[in-house]
Amino acid sequence: MVLEIKKISKNFGGIQALTDVSFSIEQGEVLGLIGPNGAGKTTMFNMITAMFPPSSGEIGFLGQSLSGLKPHEITKRGICRTFQNIRLFSELTVRENVMVGNHCRLTTGVLQSVFRTKYQKQEEENVLRNSDEILEIVGLSEFGQTIAKNLSYGQQRRLEIARALASRPQLLLLDEPAAGMNEKETNDLFDLIKKIQALNITILLIEHDMPLVMRICSRIVVLNFGKKIAEGTPSSIQNNKEVIEAYLGVEEEDELA
Amino acid sequence: MLSELINPYYLQVATFILLNIILGVSIYITLGTGQLSLGHAGFMSIGAYTSAILTLNYNVPLVIGIIIAAVFTGFIGVLIGFPALRLQGVYLAIATLGFGEVIRVLFINWEGLTNGAIGIRGIPHLGREILSFSESLGFSPGMIGLKNNQFVSLAVFLVLLIISIGVIWFFIRQSNSRIGRAFASIKMDEEASEAMGINITYYKILAFGQGALLAGFAGALYAHLTAYISPSDFGYHRAVEILIFAIFGGSEVIWGPIFGAIFLSTMPEFLRVISEYRFMIYGALLVLMMAFRPQGLIDTNVVNWIKRPRLKKKEGKHGTGNKKDK
Repeated sequence: MVLEIKKISKNFGGIQALTDVSFSIEQGEVLGLIGPNGAGKTTMFNMITAMFPPSSGEIGFLGQSLSGLKPHEITKRGICRTFQNIRLFSELTVRENVMVGNHCRLTTGVLQSVFRTKYQKQEEENVLRNSDEILEIVGLSEFGQTIAKNLSYGQQRRLEIARALASRPQLLLLDEPAAGMNEKETNDLFDLIKKIQALNITILLIEHDMPLVMRICSRIVVLNFGKKIAEGTPSSIQNNKEVIEAYLGVEEEDELA
Repeated sequence: MLSELINPYYLQVATFILLNIILGVSIYITLGTGQLSLGHAGFMSIGAYTSAILTLNYNVPLVIGIIIAAVFTGFIGVLIGFPALRLQGVYLAIATLGFGEVIRVLFINWEGLTNGAIGIRGIPHLGREILSFSESLGFSPGMIGLKNNQFVSLAVFLVLLIISIGVIWFFIRQSNSRIGRAFASIKMDEEASEAMGINITYYKILAFGQGALLAGFAGALYAHLTAYISPSDFGYHRAVEILIFAIFGGSEVIWGPIFGAIFLSTMPEFLRVISEYRFMIYGALLVLMMAFRPQGLIDTNVVNWIKRPRLKKKEGKHGTGNKKDK
């Protein structure tokens, strides 16, 4: 078990964003987290990465509790995320973005950096090599020197994944990586997720693109109004009455995903 | 021969330009993590007073006094850095402006130590200390055909030049490293940086402390260059002046504030007639810069343009970036 979510609740003032949600992720799997807009999926991500604390409940990672840790400590433990609304360091180059992702695996401080010790030079060489390898994986090698904001939308999404991969996570959280992508880009993304899975990285995926979710996830957790309404294999989710109601609900057509 | 070339007045102007460069770099470091500080005049005054009081009242050697002053100011900067973490943008600017004013008022009212509004005079002068030191080694300016005041100005200028180059070197090295990447990413998106494993608390306080240390260092040098300081030297106008180096020159690359400091300290010398209106011009300049070139005169593109490989003709560039190959 890589990640264990135990009875997580979150309320913002009077709004109950999540209520007693529990699920767990096994080593090496791709777990889909789906649900209509506002179901609390991104809130869940934010709590796993400690952007804000849960109101109650606990999150365990590799057998250790994550409560009380800061976001950067979570990343160091081996959980990294991408953002639903792309949040790259837009003025840095593509390669620099990936290098920043590698930050928590490096140790040189101010003086070592300024006086360029042997160790620091070695480390910088490794960072450059690692970054290029990761750019290779996501297929952005030729754009290393490009300023991130000049990439196309699909490329920016992939750079987000590359930046997260650079932190060498064991668990990767992808927040709607296929949003706004065309069919070809979505197919490329499918291949990329498969590649990442082959690197022995566990993935938790939030996605609205159902064909993609059904193809790639081994299991799916469905949230609706902050509650878990179903969990199971893609085929069992597809036939789950409650899930279909949540998405195609009789009166709540404005919530169509 | 040499003596005809050395004009103490010009050297003095150049020395103060170098001092302003150090101040410009100090604000650049703090701005480099997206923290807008108007407290640098306050930090400068802490450095100036610390070193002045140490050397005058406690007979601490000048060099030691400057170093202690810088470190002490850096320490104060770290202390201020913690509450500053909670503030963003203009709120931080207002808070640090308040800090600067508090320090100034403190120095005015703590008469027993600071002599109040009258200020401290007779601070050991860097140049004369160098002169007496070299004389104690059996060297006199006459030996290289210089008058005493020429030697003093030249020595001070050279010392400041070496220090400035050292400071610039230090921070260029720092910005081309893991630390610099962390600073840059925090400036662009704090939350994303944190999610990527950067300890933003540490780096923001580091930047604030470094900026304060450098401002305190410049303040200490200022005290020993002018031999006289008073609280009014470090008022609001000084804070704005320092900030304008970075706003006018640009705060994206270190050359921005350096250029800003050089340009804005040189202009009043050439435009003696209008030097009275300096702050009015600064104000107008600020408005114009914000409207037409918010990133400052020198940005990454300008640096790349200067560094561009000088080929006979423009050859086709690969890639879509505007950042050219190094």
